[in-house]
Amino acid sequence: METALHKAIELIFSGSALLEDIVWVTVRMSLASSLTALLIGVPFGVLFGSGSFPGKRILVVLNRTLMGLPPVVCGLLCYLMFCGVGPLRHLELLYTVTGMVIAQVILITPIVIGMMEPFVSGIYPDIRETSRGLGLSPVKTLGLLINESRYQIISTYLMALSRALAEVGAVSMVGGAIAYKTNVMTTAIMNFTNMGNFTTALALGIILLAGSLVINVAVSLMQGRADA
Amino acid sequence: MILQNLRKSYDGRIVLDVSSLELENGKIYAVIGANGSGKSTMAKIAAGIIAPDGAKPEKNKLQTGYMPQKSFAFRMSLRKNMRINGGDAEREEALLKALKIEHLADAGAKRLSGGETARMALARLLMRDYELIVLDEPCSAMDIESTLLAEKLIRDYRDRIGCAVLIVTHSISQAERIADEVLFLSDGKLIELGSPEKLIEHPESEITRGFIEFYSKA
Repeated sequence: METALHKAIELIFSGSALLEDIVWVTVRMSLASSLTALLIGVPFGVLFGSGSFPGKRILVVLNRTLMGLPPVVCGLLCYLMFCGVGPLRHLELLYTVTGMVIAQVILITPIVIGMMEPFVSGIYPDIRETSRGLGLSPVKTLGLLINESRYQIISTYLMALSRALAEVGAVSMVGGAIAYKTNVMTTAIMNFTNMGNFTTALALGIILLAGSLVINVAVSLMQGRADA
Repeated sequence: MILQNLRKSYDGRIVLDVSSLELENGKIYAVIGANGSGKSTMAKIAAGIIAPDGAKPEKNKLQTGYMPQKSFAFRMSLRKNMRINGGDAEREEALLKALKIEHLADAGAKRLSGGETARMALARLLMRDYELIVLDEPCSAMDIESTLLAEKLIRDYRDRIGCAVLIVTHSISQAERIADEVLFLSDGKLIELGSPEKLIEHPESEITRGFIEFYSKA
């Protein structure tokens, strides 16, 4: 175990092309999917948290259900849509990073909405009352609401990124873990472990953990600033 | 100005039942009454924050400013909180000075104490000219010095702008100090309206007398 760990650390700093490619694909996919999920999820979170419209409760419950969507089910649905007999086969998304991003967005967007909605519904009544009391326009009120939510938006993004980095089920099914194409850290760890290449698996695990640590420290700092 | 239809009920329980209220420009009206008498509901309807029964929620046609019971500080400096409501630098400095919060102007508003937040909220409201300002217990979180400063500021604003002021208060002494007219509410009904001398010293209604006596002893 000690030797494997030592070798893994050596591998990380060796400049391995394979490792670099896996990390690069992971970063590209995670950034694209978390940013897209944020761009879709934040407006819906704000709408659900501040709006009052028929069917809102049903949508909130539906979103909470989707937050628990098993990644493999999401992967299966995407696979069925993108595969050779699926309705979206002409887009040729199966075994591509774009296909993996779509699967991730489906998984992460409900989480973004689910993190924003309760936060906004908690602060919006006070903001609305204050803004209306001052006679501010709805646009200005929205601007104040977004400003008030900025730390929550950043925390939500970091959580989304963390989730995208750690996800394995859906990306494995949609991406196929093809070396130098769609193999990301989580799927690569699985493959290398199955092949008995524990050094590379461990090296990827260390990088993944370090990334997760950085994100969680950032989330913690953000929460500290938000509480201040 | 006449505020029509100040009626509100929740789940069949009538919390406010006042057909209309005539307010004169340049006068300060204090609304007093026990908890649940409908004071805050009256303030919110008057300011257009909530709609009375049978009406759509809309701001009344008057330029109305409203300070809620719970003052909210936006996540920015005290000065920037004030600037949200427009106004010029001269007025900003005058308000900061009048409420003795100039030393806090660049501090984060979320770090202010309850009393400081209330002073900031009052200063923010008074950055702009309104025809009617509605204040829901604006001094409840303030100490006596800040309360007196706030009362002076409200009177000065009224004198300068010539607007009507509706101020909800739990303090009979505050009503005596600041108001030209006092409204006494009980169970959502307007029981009595008159000058502080008349209503507090010589109330006509038994309910008003009971309330004044109880609060005077407390």
